[in-house]
Amino acid sequence: MFPLAVTNGLVMGVIYALAALGVSLVVGIMRVINFAHGELFILAGYFSYLFAITLGWHFLPAMIMAVLLVFCLGLLIESTLIRPTYGHEMYSLILTFILSIVLQNAYLLIFGPYPQKPPAWISGSTHVLGLFYYGNQRLAALLAGTLIIAAVFSVLKFTWFGKILRAASQDREMAQFNGVNTTRLNMLSFGLGCALAGTAGVILAPVFPVTPSAGVHVALTAFVIVVLGGMGSMWGCVIGGLILGLVENLGAAFVSTGYKHIFGFMILILVLLIRPAGLFGRKEI
Amino acid sequence: MRRKYFTVTAWIALLMLVFAGTVLAADTIKVGVVGPRTGPAAATGKSFEEGIKLALDYVNAQGGVLGKPLEVVFEDTAGAPDKAASGFERLVIRNNVVMVLGESHSSAALAQIEVANRLKIPFIVAEAWADPITAKNYKYVFRAGPSNSGVVNETVAKWVMHENFKKAFIVAENTDWGLGIAESTKAALDKAGVEYDFLITERQSQDHYTELARIKAFDPDVVLAYIYGSGLHFFVAQAGETRLTPKAIILDGAGPPSLWPDYWKNVGDYGDKECFVSSMHEKVELTELATYFREAYVKAFDQQPTDYKSRSIFDAVLIAADAINRAGSTDADRLVDALRATELLVTRGTVKFGTTLGGPEYHHWMPPMLIVQWQNQEQVVLYPTEGATGKLSR
Repeated sequence: MFPLAVTNGLVMGVIYALAALGVSLVVGIMRVINFAHGELFILAGYFSYLFAITLGWHFLPAMIMAVLLVFCLGLLIESTLIRPTYGHEMYSLILTFILSIVLQNAYLLIFGPYPQKPPAWISGSTHVLGLFYYGNQRLAALLAGTLIIAAVFSVLKFTWFGKILRAASQDREMAQFNGVNTTRLNMLSFGLGCALAGTAGVILAPVFPVTPSAGVHVALTAFVIVVLGGMGSMWGCVIGGLILGLVENLGAAFVSTGYKHIFGFMILILVLLIRPAGLFGRKEI
Repeated sequence: MRRKYFTVTAWIALLMLVFAGTVLAADTIKVGVVGPRTGPAAATGKSFEEGIKLALDYVNAQGGVLGKPLEVVFEDTAGAPDKAASGFERLVIRNNVVMVLGESHSSAALAQIEVANRLKIPFIVAEAWADPITAKNYKYVFRAGPSNSGVVNETVAKWVMHENFKKAFIVAENTDWGLGIAESTKAALDKAGVEYDFLITERQSQDHYTELARIKAFDPDVVLAYIYGSGLHFFVAQAGETRLTPKAIILDGAGPPSLWPDYWKNVGDYGDKECFVSSMHEKVELTELATYFREAYVKAFDQQPTDYKSRSIFDAVLIAADAINRAGSTDADRLVDALRATELLVTRGTVKFGTTLGGPEYHHWMPPMLIVQWQNQEQVVLYPTEGATGKLSR
């Protein structure tokens, strides 16, 4: 039981972290909380399903196209809905909340109430170390999720764009004084945040088929991780995601399966009592 | 002067509109339907819509009710008790419905029966199974559909014994329905002397690996899964990945999710040999009306009916229409009297509500249920034996 719970905790943790990275990026750069994050995650899953099943594309181009479309939608949302609200954080909060409800209902209308699943990249399961069987698609999702997270950190650490993002996150005004076009940066950051949600969506949809309302749970988990790790901290996101995944699975294995998601909230409350800024505060992006 | 004329004319026009609206509204008899059109069980709302359409066509083709067309107003409850209660109240206060039908979430129905009782409006529950819904013995509450204890005692427990399963594992979602049916199952398995273990899973949970590891460690012959919605698809697929199945047989204790159009796409080959509870099968049609329903469904929607909840709401509308006609009035107390005297042939048999106070049988009609197994993507009825079209395949 223990090895399976740990393995599953790590897999779910990486998946959680990936879903939360986009939220953290947008919060860190723009101080905007995107309540529609979960719905963009779901939209990418739907796009991926549509291209792969309806149009018969190979799953890889279907996934890439889905992420690109969600990225473009992110740019559009930022320029039309978010930009006019700068300086009024509550407005963007309300707007994205409304957007999430609109998108949920639109999905219901367009895709129907039934769960939709893009094709799996790989079928069957593997007997891990002779201890337990584990789904191959989950192992593939773990690998893909880890690679994407590593790629995001590499971009942030080693590229010019990453340096600009980190600079704007640390001191927005100073970055502006040094010639950073913060309006364009906001748009790109929001688009990138949405694309990260979409990436998580296309990786996870073959494991957990998408439904119109499934984004609510995704967004809630992502917000818990962002607060747990520290608002705007990318490392906090990864560590927070892994902690949440492990605590949920070990709690379910050895305490109760009926309160799996309560354990995460208990850890969150505990961390906030000891470190109100979350595990990694706002020290880095 | 001109302004005065204009004001008077505007008022008259407004009054005429209001009057015309009242007259138009009175030209139909309205019943309300409550059910989830959004949320995790929105598929049930879709089935309800289909069943309502067929029922209205049927009732109105036969002259409607009290000489007027029957109209249905559908209120979305999203499966949430607060929305369910306010939606019920809105139907009565705003839409002036004479009766309310439907619901498929026990938690929502438990909130609605309190409103029905307070507002003194007859409520026919179609697909919410929790025993307390009728066990509270409310005068205005009826149930023309399965109850937890009814499904377990009449079908599930008998099937477990019939198949000679020695070890069972009960998995229940943490809802009024899930926890209630798990308790009924435990009691029935205790009585039958079947060894079992039990765990609760979260309703919204997508990942069941840890639960499945615990179930596998118990090595059951059968897993009685009381999980509704897409969670059931996740459970079946993951049970296959972790190799719990095919050694153990899974019984979907609700039914419809195993019949949803995307079931096979979501569970793949792991869906084969899965069993589920249902009240509908094309080869086991108990009445002529069941055949009529299937043919009308195919004609209207160009596909075979799958989710049996479309047929449950069809029956509920017919029961309501019959009661209104026999009552000869829309008075709530006269409708209750008419409902209590119901003896109507619907798609699932003859409806007759229980009148013995003290238990969930009060104002309840339990339709016959079937245990069906997927065998090479074909539905094979396993139980009851008199309706069986094949044997359990492992």
